[in-house]
Amino acid sequence: MQGNEQQAYDRGITIFSPDGRLYQVEYAREAVKRGTASVGVRTEDGVVIAADRHARSPLIERDSIEKIHEIDSHVGVASAGHVADARQLIDVARRQAQVNRLRYDEPASVESLTKEITDYIQQYTQTGGARPFGVALLVAGIEDGEPRLFETDPSGTPYEWQAVAIGGSREDIQTFLEDEYAEEMDLEAGIELALRALASVNEDGLDATGVDIATIDVETEQFQKLSEEDIAERLEEFELGGEN
Amino acid sequence: MYDPENRLTDAHEPEVGTLPNEDGGRDEENVVKTGTTTVGIATENGVVIATDRRASLGGRFVSNKQVQKVEQIHPTAAMTLVGSVGGAQSFIRSLRAEADLYEVRRDEPLSIHALATLAGNFARGGPYFAINPIVGGVDEEGSHVYSVDPAGGVLEDDYTVTGSGTMVATGTIEGQYDPEMSLGEARDLAIRAVNAAAERDTGSGNGVVLAEITGEGVEIDAFDDYESAE
Repeated sequence: MQGNEQQAYDRGITIFSPDGRLYQVEYAREAVKRGTASVGVRTEDGVVIAADRHARSPLIERDSIEKIHEIDSHVGVASAGHVADARQLIDVARRQAQVNRLRYDEPASVESLTKEITDYIQQYTQTGGARPFGVALLVAGIEDGEPRLFETDPSGTPYEWQAVAIGGSREDIQTFLEDEYAEEMDLEAGIELALRALASVNEDGLDATGVDIATIDVETEQFQKLSEEDIAERLEEFELGGEN
Repeated sequence: MYDPENRLTDAHEPEVGTLPNEDGGRDEENVVKTGTTTVGIATENGVVIATDRRASLGGRFVSNKQVQKVEQIHPTAAMTLVGSVGGAQSFIRSLRAEADLYEVRRDEPLSIHALATLAGNFARGGPYFAINPIVGGVDEEGSHVYSVDPAGGVLEDDYTVTGSGTMVATGTIEGQYDPEMSLGEARDLAIRAVNAAAERDTGSGNGVVLAEITGEGVEIDAFDDYESAE
């Protein structure tokens, strides 16, 4: 009987359970956990986002696994969860970034872009017939010369972080970040921490084709993806590479 | 794209309310207009805006002698009414709403460049017929004056003049402007320019309204004659 009651409350997205929960939103959070992890690290001179994008088959074209996306020249997003859902939100963010430039002739602030995304996500937790987004995002960029790092979740709540993980093994990676993070890191140390954080839950180590990294530094304010060679170099330097 | 709350807004439309949907220039003869001279001067310590106070009908009748043609639209910015009074007033209300919304959402005021860009977009996108305002203000980057034309052109300058008395007033300022001048000196120059236009332009006159804008805010005062303003 108990089980049946609970089932009824998770049918409709707009229905609260008697104890005040939205089961569909909670299930969407589970969908995020099923995705591979992404991490973000804010340093004094820039923001780093890194994503685990290991392939399920050696035959897949690596470039078709997209987990890090440029939103505008000064903002990037890393996702965890349903990639198809992420793409929709990324397009919302890209459009809003351009609308901001058209309206005000200014680059969009990272905070206002994040809130545009989360307000959009929130509508899908309150609209009949809709399904919430099964994805979490890290929104990273430079705003008024300052690095900013935000997280969005399926409920549509924005959070700001110094360093954060989303997706599978989130708790373990977050604990690792809490132990290792230092405020006065430079960008290079941020890249190292992000890679070490991803490696901390990959027993087989990382390989350069299975990781995506981008930085946005305060100097250039430009989103920049690291090349495979750059990543391979660092994995070797930090001794995070796998056997093969 | 699915956009249930119309969040992906058009850059040429206000977020609050809509642009008036009417043909520009309709019923031209019966529209109250400000022939007008409005002057904006940027100095290191702030911006001075001076305007005359006359409104006219059909170019031959003075329909009002105490119009306030400069309005605060932002904590540290003001805009002048030039052209159709109805068009300019609704334009000011829209811009003020947008500036307030931006500030309350983002917890920082709109920059003056962004404000002028927004004004240019609205002028271009909507039938605010025959308006030609000056936007002047102070932000983190300093003092700015912009002129906005009816087609949406937005031009920044050290000083700018709009309205029917433009030629006369510009002649007064030309050669007298100095980027190092104090706010008080700029104020005197702006008053002289409006006064000159009032003497020679039939669309301008009836005293002067002065707006002084600094990082602290906007102060607006009206004067019946030019001597008492100085």
